[in-house]
Amino acid sequence: MKPVFSLQNIQLGRGNNFNLWIERLEVRDGVLYSLTGPNGAGKSTLLWLLAMLRRPESGAIYFGDTLVHGTRSELKKLRQQITLVEQAPYLFDDTVARNIAFGLRLRGIQGEERNNRISQALEDVGLGGFEKRKARELSGGEVRRVALARALALRPKVLLLDEPTANIDEASLQIVEALLTSLPQQGMTIIFSTHDLDQPERLGAEVIRMRDGKLEAATYPASPRQHVATAEKITWPRPLKISESSYLWL
Amino acid sequence: MDYLLTSLSAAIGLITQLNQEVLSTVGISLYTSLTAILLASVLGVPAGIALGLKQFTGRRLVLTLLNTLMSLPSVVIGLLLFGMLSRQGPLGGWELLYTPLAMIIGQTVLATPIVANYTLSVINGADNRIMSTAMTLGAGSLQSGWQLLKETRFGIMAAVIAGFGRVIGEVGVAMMLGGNIRGFTRTMTTAIALETSKGEFAFGLALGIVLMTIVLLINLFLNLLQHR
Repeated sequence: MKPVFSLQNIQLGRGNNFNLWIERLEVRDGVLYSLTGPNGAGKSTLLWLLAMLRRPESGAIYFGDTLVHGTRSELKKLRQQITLVEQAPYLFDDTVARNIAFGLRLRGIQGEERNNRISQALEDVGLGGFEKRKARELSGGEVRRVALARALALRPKVLLLDEPTANIDEASLQIVEALLTSLPQQGMTIIFSTHDLDQPERLGAEVIRMRDGKLEAATYPASPRQHVATAEKITWPRPLKISESSYLWL
Repeated sequence: MDYLLTSLSAAIGLITQLNQEVLSTVGISLYTSLTAILLASVLGVPAGIALGLKQFTGRRLVLTLLNTLMSLPSVVIGLLLFGMLSRQGPLGGWELLYTPLAMIIGQTVLATPIVANYTLSVINGADNRIMSTAMTLGAGSLQSGWQLLKETRFGIMAAVIAGFGRVIGEVGVAMMLGGNIRGFTRTMTTAIALETSKGEFAFGLALGIVLMTIVLLINLFLNLLQHR
């Protein structure tokens, strides 16, 4: 199976004393991965990196065969194939339907197709009929499910989920876990972070274990590919560190 | 006390009878201030957003400059622009001095730092997940910036209103660049100053009541926005 992501010699700073350092990582197409490790291991940072929301200070990221280092328009095109749902997701100050429509509109999906995708995504997360509800009036659990529906409606190639099952009720847990196992069968690659050590086995997920910003040696997937030489030639701009928003790869 | 009550009664009479001079002065004030705040918003809102999101060399200097401009007395801005627009100044050939356009330029210079600074505060205080959420859903940098603007719309509106409150009530720029010409560049504030000094207290009071009502309405609206 061909890799959807190849990371090589990635280094990424966070504040003054933390570094994500990934010598190599390959993520295969249509596979469910769990990302485990203690707090501060770098799981969320890795998800942000894979979502192309943060850029590394050095190293190379390949998305398929494309080296991720491009112009804004190239980045936008690549990002439209990946969606990240954060642990505490943000819903725009609008209705549920308009929240889900946001990404669809950016992809030029309109009319009936858009409405069908919105309804279907809400059904998938057990919130059928929630289209007209205001995002600000939802409960915490509903917010997380709407955020998941907003991502599912886009049918991304890669879905990244930061602790999707932490602090949710039993019913929501079952819905999310069912989606995690069924979506890779439709060709979607999913990487989700979790603190539940039994969950990966229960869901049949491959495990990427992290500690102190590094992958644990035993979990290095597969062998390095042919891009190592390229990685050393790339000079990344220095990351911006003054305000939170400037961490974004704008 | 009688003097005050008589003047107040006369002032209310001028307003309720829609006195032409009062209407004309209010009209000029609103025209220049609204045009200036529109221009200041076009300049100040994107500047505030850019300053809030982007890091660049000299950013601190720009922020210091903005803060300084914000606290500059309007008469000093009037003075500096007078130097530019007067016949002997570098822009004297444009013959803008003592025209409504000169007042608009001055009030735009006055309001832009206010709008930019307030916008910057709104952006700094905005939820930092807005941009990343928009981007992970497929938006580019500009589209994410637009979404940020939409999400912070009430704060941005408050910034614009604060700028409007400043220009509608200022005297220095209107006086120095407009010249207080009756029916042409005479605003509520310059008219109040002039008419009162001429002994026309009731007329000044009438304009004062209109101005205070406008400022009160602005602040009520601002208060409403801030509690949303």
